[in-house]
Amino acid sequence: MHIGNYRRRTEAVFLVFLFFLILCIARLFYIQFFRSRYLAGIAKKQQNLFVELEPVRGAIYDSNLKQQAVNIPVDSLYAVPNEIPQKDKEKIIAQLCPILNLERSFLAQRLGRDKSFIWLVRKLSYEQSQAVRRLNIKGLGFLKESKRSYPNSYLAAQVIGFAGLDNIGLEGLEIYDDKYLRGEAGWGIFLRDARQKRLDLWAKMVLPKDGYDLVLTIDETIQYIAERELDKAFEKYHAKGASIIVMDPHSGAILAMANRPTFDLNSYTKADKDRIRNRAICDLFEPGSVFKIVTASAVIEEKKVNETDRFFCENGSYRVANHILHDHTSHGWLSFREVIEQSSNIGTVKAAQILGPQLLYKYVKLFGFGSKTDIDLPGEIAGMIKPPSLWSKTSIGAVPMGQEVGVTALQLASAISVIANGGQLMKPYVVQEVRDKYGETIKKISPVVIRRAISEDTANRVKSILGGVVENGTGKMGKIPGISAGGKTGTAQKLEPNGAYSHNKFVGSFIGFAPLENPMVAIVVTLDEPRPYYFGGVVAAPVFKNVAGDVIKYLKSHQLAEGEMVIE
Amino acid sequence: MKLSKFLSLAAFITVFSLLYVYQQTEIFRLAYIGQKKLAFLDVLLDKNSVLRYNIEKNASLACLGDKISGYADFQMPDNYQLVSLLPAKKKANLKKPASSNTGLLSRVFGIKRQAEARTISP
Repeated sequence: MHIGNYRRRTEAVFLVFLFFLILCIARLFYIQFFRSRYLAGIAKKQQNLFVELEPVRGAIYDSNLKQQAVNIPVDSLYAVPNEIPQKDKEKIIAQLCPILNLERSFLAQRLGRDKSFIWLVRKLSYEQSQAVRRLNIKGLGFLKESKRSYPNSYLAAQVIGFAGLDNIGLEGLEIYDDKYLRGEAGWGIFLRDARQKRLDLWAKMVLPKDGYDLVLTIDETIQYIAERELDKAFEKYHAKGASIIVMDPHSGAILAMANRPTFDLNSYTKADKDRIRNRAICDLFEPGSVFKIVTASAVIEEKKVNETDRFFCENGSYRVANHILHDHTSHGWLSFREVIEQSSNIGTVKAAQILGPQLLYKYVKLFGFGSKTDIDLPGEIAGMIKPPSLWSKTSIGAVPMGQEVGVTALQLASAISVIANGGQLMKPYVVQEVRDKYGETIKKISPVVIRRAISEDTANRVKSILGGVVENGTGKMGKIPGISAGGKTGTAQKLEPNGAYSHNKFVGSFIGFAPLENPMVAIVVTLDEPRPYYFGGVVAAPVFKNVAGDVIKYLKSHQLAEGEMVIE
Repeated sequence: MKLSKFLSLAAFITVFSLLYVYQQTEIFRLAYIGQKKLAFLDVLLDKNSVLRYNIEKNASLACLGDKISGYADFQMPDNYQLVSLLPAKKKANLKKPASSNTGLLSRVFGIKRQAEARTISP
């Protein structure tokens, strides 16, 4: 071959290669400078996985740090309908129906969808999850979630409330303090392998901020005692509803609050609204004779009447404007102390007539009626009390004995605490502390004095009268063996839809405190439409007696135990 | 650049690259192992929290109270005294009842002077 030809061919090959090299360089240049952002984005999507990190919802503890609401890990079952062959679906539905307790049609509809992810059941029980796992069905998968659970089932159900499927508070403290309990979600960008599986290697991560824990003023033991006794009365007297509040009169701390009918917090979806409602703060009722503590306090504070002043109780029948008042037992002359002890309507109204509507209204407001107590629970109502300008001529014969006013059980608890603690109206509260998961206090809630309603001297004098109610008066069934107590019974007729007072529907109630000298607890018990007995002194006073007796024994033993620990 | 220098530089870069690749594969291998262990630990932790919750639930006053009131007639009396029983120093000299030595005929036809208390199962 001629050397010249060889050289030309070599040059041609070189030029061809050079051309392709230039093409490659140009392409690389294009990719690097014009397509890099787009391609890097695609690569990032393939390699990285953005995951939202769920915070742990705060727990709820009672005053002794016993768990009332916690989170437990559970499995949620999902399906990938696209991956399940059509012919297998019938068999899978037949296998899943008995385990999951679901309708066949529901599962058929879910698995029939043309989707790559669909929830079948969220938050399965451990047994259900294990049973489904054993079936080892292709196209079904589990995701871990946390479920809000309540170890005490029904204890303080309306106070604690519940959180929904997404751990968002729906009722009670779970919704009221959701801002503390919820926490803040975090996020992370995790690496994925070639099979798109998540690796625990992260490029970036912001840790979730777990929710804070709540420490309640409620004591599990006191709550249990209160619910146990309320249950007995609720069933014995076939009541439509019932409530009980146990309060520390000196601080306003709620030690127990319960309502009947109630529900299981772990299966709240099965409960109707009537059971979920916190009757103690949401239900309005005419208090009846328990309201006489306000009238008695007002006339004594204003020095219009003293305990020994005598009233003629008209032998059981007394006209006020065009309305005739009756006493449940006819009385002649009674001292004011006896008027309250025997719960004479006529004697109380005569004392209130000396006081006048303006002053009576002033004390009704001072005791906190007609306004919210601002307790840290949702759904509280203010109650109802008309200003004297709107009173009719018969109002002075009704308001002093608890008619024409609407109150809540909580307002009554606050009012009886005024007498028990020496005249101060305290703000009731159920959360005493907000703390983080390490036990550090974030917020401490201290007792709040709203106002002084009456002087200490008046409170002590009324306290002594209420002691007489339990010793000699209508509240004898509230007498606690070995412990002195004070209280007032109430039996209020309910209003019919036509506005008239019912003759067979009553609210029986008892408000009291014990021990008389230095009260440790103030208790309110109300029973709505009890049958066949309906007098507060018969249906509600025994509940007070049993609860106060056991609670005081418990509190004293608790104090003793704490004292011993200090000595050690 | 001298060939020997070029070759040593190339060898160094190659070894360094291999080490880097090895390091990356090790990270992923360890990540997989860690992930498996973490999954196992998660299962154990989950079981632990479920168990603790169940203990808490079964030991709760609501549960215990329901069981006591549901299955027993026990009620705490209003007044009660705590007594302690001390072990006796000497064995009590308990005589066997005479009836146990008597035969069938004497038990049937005999006249007993003392009433015998017997337990009866309801």
